[in-house]
Amino acid sequence: MAAVEGLQEDGHADAAQAPARDAGEIVLKLDNIELGFGGVKAINNVSFEVRKGEIRAIIGPNGAGKSSMLNCINGFYKPQKGSISFNGKTMSAMDPHFAASNGIARTFQNIALFRGMSTLDNLMTGRVLKMRRGFLWQALHWGPAQREEIKHRAFVETIIDFLEIQSIRRTPVGRLPYGLQKRVELGRALAMEPSILLLDEPMAGMNVEEKQDMSRFILDVNEEFGTTIVLIEHDMGVVMDISDRVVVLDYGRKIADGTPDEVRRNQDVIDAYLGVPHED
Amino acid sequence: MFYREAGIFKTSYAADQALFRIPFDRIFVISVVLFAALVIPVIGNEYWLGSILIPTLIMAIATIGLNILLGYCGQLSLGTGAFMAAGAFMGYKIATAFPWMPIWAVVILGGICAAMIGVAFGLPSLRIKGFYLAVTTLAAQFFLLWLFQKVPWFVNYSISGVPTAPPREMFGYLVTGAEASVEARYLFILAFTVILALIAANLVRGRIGRTWMAIRDMDIAAELIGIKPLPTKLSAFAVSSFYCGVAGVLWAFCYINTVEATAFDIFRSFTVLFMVIIGGLGSILGCFLGAFFIFLLPIFLNSAPGWVGLEVPTELISHVEFMVFGALIVFFLIVEPHGLARLWAITKEKLRLWPFPY
Repeated sequence: MAAVEGLQEDGHADAAQAPARDAGEIVLKLDNIELGFGGVKAINNVSFEVRKGEIRAIIGPNGAGKSSMLNCINGFYKPQKGSISFNGKTMSAMDPHFAASNGIARTFQNIALFRGMSTLDNLMTGRVLKMRRGFLWQALHWGPAQREEIKHRAFVETIIDFLEIQSIRRTPVGRLPYGLQKRVELGRALAMEPSILLLDEPMAGMNVEEKQDMSRFILDVNEEFGTTIVLIEHDMGVVMDISDRVVVLDYGRKIADGTPDEVRRNQDVIDAYLGVPHED
Repeated sequence: MFYREAGIFKTSYAADQALFRIPFDRIFVISVVLFAALVIPVIGNEYWLGSILIPTLIMAIATIGLNILLGYCGQLSLGTGAFMAAGAFMGYKIATAFPWMPIWAVVILGGICAAMIGVAFGLPSLRIKGFYLAVTTLAAQFFLLWLFQKVPWFVNYSISGVPTAPPREMFGYLVTGAEASVEARYLFILAFTVILALIAANLVRGRIGRTWMAIRDMDIAAELIGIKPLPTKLSAFAVSSFYCGVAGVLWAFCYINTVEATAFDIFRSFTVLFMVIIGGLGSILGCFLGAFFIFLLPIFLNSAPGWVGLEVPTELISHVEFMVFGALIVFFLIVEPHGLARLWAITKEKLRLWPFPY
């Protein structure tokens, strides 16, 4: 649990030394993002960056613009102002296909699995962009097309083993319990071999054990595959434990950015999110 | 027991991804195909082959087509009849313009023409979903039939407007037109049915099928995974219309032996839709179950009173047929939206546990 140790050391470290671990290069940078729906400003002039290999949390009260932020990152929403830099390319808005083909994968707050398909097919769908064989080969399902299927199946099986979902391989995901669906959704994102993984409330609605499992998977993904993780989560205990740096949003504005300990001590955050202490 | 699912261990992914994962299924399907190819032409009479099996198999092809679009890709279409008509008329034009062309190539080219027309009418699907898309495909239904009826070029300026299908040979046997023997026509259609069903089964279990199902189940998530909605939907329209077009050519050339637009009216579209719903959305097996069910049910309802010695007026029977038909559609929509194929799957699941309750 390098992340947790790093975090504890950091409690005594100089506050200026922002990242908890060795700071990687900046892989994703958002500058002055503004996004509005009609009269509502969902995101108001927010800038932050994500460094390679870190676990970056975005927290904030309900409606603070966290999910909108993720939606901007993978191109589902187009911000009205600001720019996004990713892979050395600066653009005013991300294109979903560009994001997917350049290794940005995500999970959703409300599970967005393909309910009619089996676990295996859901994970295989995550490999779609990596499969190349044309229509006629697939119609025959023979030769190169079959070899390609087997190659990707083998990769997907490593993820199935990693997430310990072997027994539900052939089960339609619509029939799975909530916690397993969340896990399959993580698997589908991992099947894309992402360089950045966006997790939108991966632990919402889970019990303590499921949360522990999920935290373990997230840390393992981060450590074993070196995947950069951007995470939205409401469980403060989890966020403070596993993340390297935290962005706090409130009413679409950024009110704090730093290590969990810095954020925990920030008066704005305490006021806005963790609650104002009462005198009595 | 002769049907076993347990104790079959796969040692390679190739074996695990086989079309029929249980040996019994494979043997069963192969023997059904062999039976249909070798035994039925010998024992079948003119009526069974010509009036039941031939139209059922052709409709099964069209049903696979619509099932790919509706059951796998989730795009509702009421233009099936029009795409069949497109196949039939373009097949007729090709067959008469190039008399030397082998008949199988005519059928495939007719299907490809229908596919292109299907893609054109599938373009609105990027913006329009569900029932609204159904209405735009309805436009295809009315527009295309109107076009084929009003423009004499499509029927080579035939005086009657209803040209007969040109006779064509394959392996030295006549397979199209009124003079062709019913066995030859049947085998010709059976070959197309088997090959097309196999191709459809391969497509839906591969990458393309997964992108279709992803669009059907959760189009937003699919887009964020990197699946482009428009090409995916259009590929489903293309493949679907290709199957409908092939079914249309066969219907005109091998079944009714004339090329006429009225054979592909809105009722044809609805019949195919019923077959998909009753057979099972998202199941190739269901296409055959649905087609056979809808073709055999009227025959059963017609003959059943006779079997038990009841004298029922024909008028009444045809009314009862409509009522039972409608009631069954409602029944399936309420009880089992996934149709006969799902009922079959549930039966298998229940029998796996039987006689234990869990």
